[in-house]
Amino acid sequence: MKHLKAINNKAQLLSQAVADDSVEEVVAMSSLAGCTATTDPGWEIDAFGGVTSLCQPMEADLYGCADPCWWPAQVPDMMNTYPDWNKDAMNSKDDWRNLGTVFPQDKN
Amino acid sequence: MTIEGGQTLNTTALKPLGSGLLALAVALATQSSQAASEAEQIIQGKCLACHAQEGDQQWSRISHQRKTPEGWLMTIARMQIMHGLEISDEDRRMLVKYLADRQGLAPSETEGARYALERRLNTQESFESQGFTEMCARCHSGARVLLQRRPASEWEHLVHFHLGQWPTTEFQALARDRDWLDLALNKMVPELAETQPLDSEAWIAWQQQAEAPVAGDWTLAGHMPGKGNFHARMNVTSAEGEDQFTLTLTGEYADGTVLAGTGQAILYTGYEWRANIEINDQMMRQVFVLNDGQLNGRMFLRDQDEVGADVVAVRDAKGTSRILALQPSHIKAGSEAEISIVGTGLSGLPILGNGVDVVEVLSASPDLIRVRARASANGIGVSTPAVGAIEGERFVVYDRIAAVKVVPEFAVARIGGNGSSTPKVEARFEAEAWAAGPDGKPGTDDDYRIGMVPANWAVAPFNEVADADGDVRFSGQMNANTGVFTPAAAGPNPQRRMMTNNAGNLKVQATVQDGAQTLSAEGQMIVTVQRWNNPPIP
Repeated sequence: MKHLKAINNKAQLLSQAVADDSVEEVVAMSSLAGCTATTDPGWEIDAFGGVTSLCQPMEADLYGCADPCWWPAQVPDMMNTYPDWNKDAMNSKDDWRNLGTVFPQDKN
Repeated sequence: MTIEGGQTLNTTALKPLGSGLLALAVALATQSSQAASEAEQIIQGKCLACHAQEGDQQWSRISHQRKTPEGWLMTIARMQIMHGLEISDEDRRMLVKYLADRQGLAPSETEGARYALERRLNTQESFESQGFTEMCARCHSGARVLLQRRPASEWEHLVHFHLGQWPTTEFQALARDRDWLDLALNKMVPELAETQPLDSEAWIAWQQQAEAPVAGDWTLAGHMPGKGNFHARMNVTSAEGEDQFTLTLTGEYADGTVLAGTGQAILYTGYEWRANIEINDQMMRQVFVLNDGQLNGRMFLRDQDEVGADVVAVRDAKGTSRILALQPSHIKAGSEAEISIVGTGLSGLPILGNGVDVVEVLSASPDLIRVRARASANGIGVSTPAVGAIEGERFVVYDRIAAVKVVPEFAVARIGGNGSSTPKVEARFEAEAWAAGPDGKPGTDDDYRIGMVPANWAVAPFNEVADADGDVRFSGQMNANTGVFTPAAAGPNPQRRMMTNNAGNLKVQATVQDGAQTLSAEGQMIVTVQRWNNPPIP
């Protein structure tokens, strides 16, 4: 790490964790049923067990994450499974309300 | 038979029926075999476009796995979504029933993972196998895997399916930094084949079990966080279709709210009870397990599944007497309270414990006895109550609350609504009171649980970052009286720094008044973003 300098908040948090020798305390795995803390960061929970290091607002680069199926258990992946998921929401900042849930309705 | 190194499942086509009622048995067997024949026709017509016939009632992939009803539903839904299967809801239901009956899990094989079926999504998962945690449970629930049984060849197919469907799997953390595929195929597959094998003694034994009776009258006792205790009666009548029933439920919450509705139920695999029942104009789902004349599980709003109740139910049967629940199950020494004893076959004078006087019997029927009780300081501790000759459950007399816990201690809420397709996901908290026990010291082995007590609720920033970001202001509202947290609206919020979502990291604070003393406790709540992929097993 000595050749790298933290320039944003997330990187500073990481540096802080290393400096405090608290890396072992980091919540690196999913901590709630079906929530992910992975990867880079998690969808629901960040690697520190909070929400500050998540990609938010998630609408900002949602398709940059949905395209390469980054959290396919939570966000419909558009590479293979749901290529047309955002057809009515090309601009995620303004059209996010048009994004639908994907599991078939009938759950009997 | 064996194919391609795989195993074929030992199945018994029809489970033996209980004794008596031969005509009914024949009718049911006919109904069952008709349904099986119809399901097999659907498999022939729909599944064999891709799957291969391997023998009589044996098909590639399909015949080499065992799952819960929800597991089979997700499999067929995946065929629809990913492979273009077109199937009606009715045909899909028939297939789920057929497959769950013949290739389900034994009750013991679902233990420890039922929280996923019951949609208890605040469960903090923890597994002994670090490999399993890092490979499977880092993206979806570990329960999704624990509720399946396959031979090694089928676990291997599942690895290849994951990589083929989501090719970036190997680019993610805990994959790009190690040889993911090698670990998946050569470590995880043998581990799962060992811990989750296709064939098991438990499944073979379960298939020999006689069918348990379901139709009749049931007593239910339940508890819903944010609302309270309830008791109800449920009439279950056999309906057309294999293992299908119609339901009528009538009951009452402790606060007097009436609970009434009708619905339909289906019993899978001889014990997996699933019902949809419209109660007070809201559709509720029952996910119960049938065991020894009792149903246990959770009943929740179908479209808002964090709102639900723990439920236990017992069926009226001649000679059966059972205490299901005491509501409430605690009383403070020196006070008087109304206590309901819920059960079946209740008859005789209730005895709640030493030092507890039944001042008045307010009403008495075989399923519900309501009494006014007074507790003295002589009976402090935990007793096993009795009604007539039967004993059961527990009743607590306490003099002082020594400690309070927030339940759940960690929860997730999700922003939602605001014109979107995903509703808000609430978080619901309760304050659990504990007594110090005979040694008078809290935090020792002799502490005992008193039960849920009223509390005053608030939220606070979990840490400095949450404080600086104004999480308390933006992420939602805590109801001070009920402990129900309603998260804020979905979408970017222009009022927040960098238009961030209304996510937050909050302390959940409970304050309990016990006589002159005030106790407090804390939990944590993550208010996070919505998810659009919501299968029945998360």
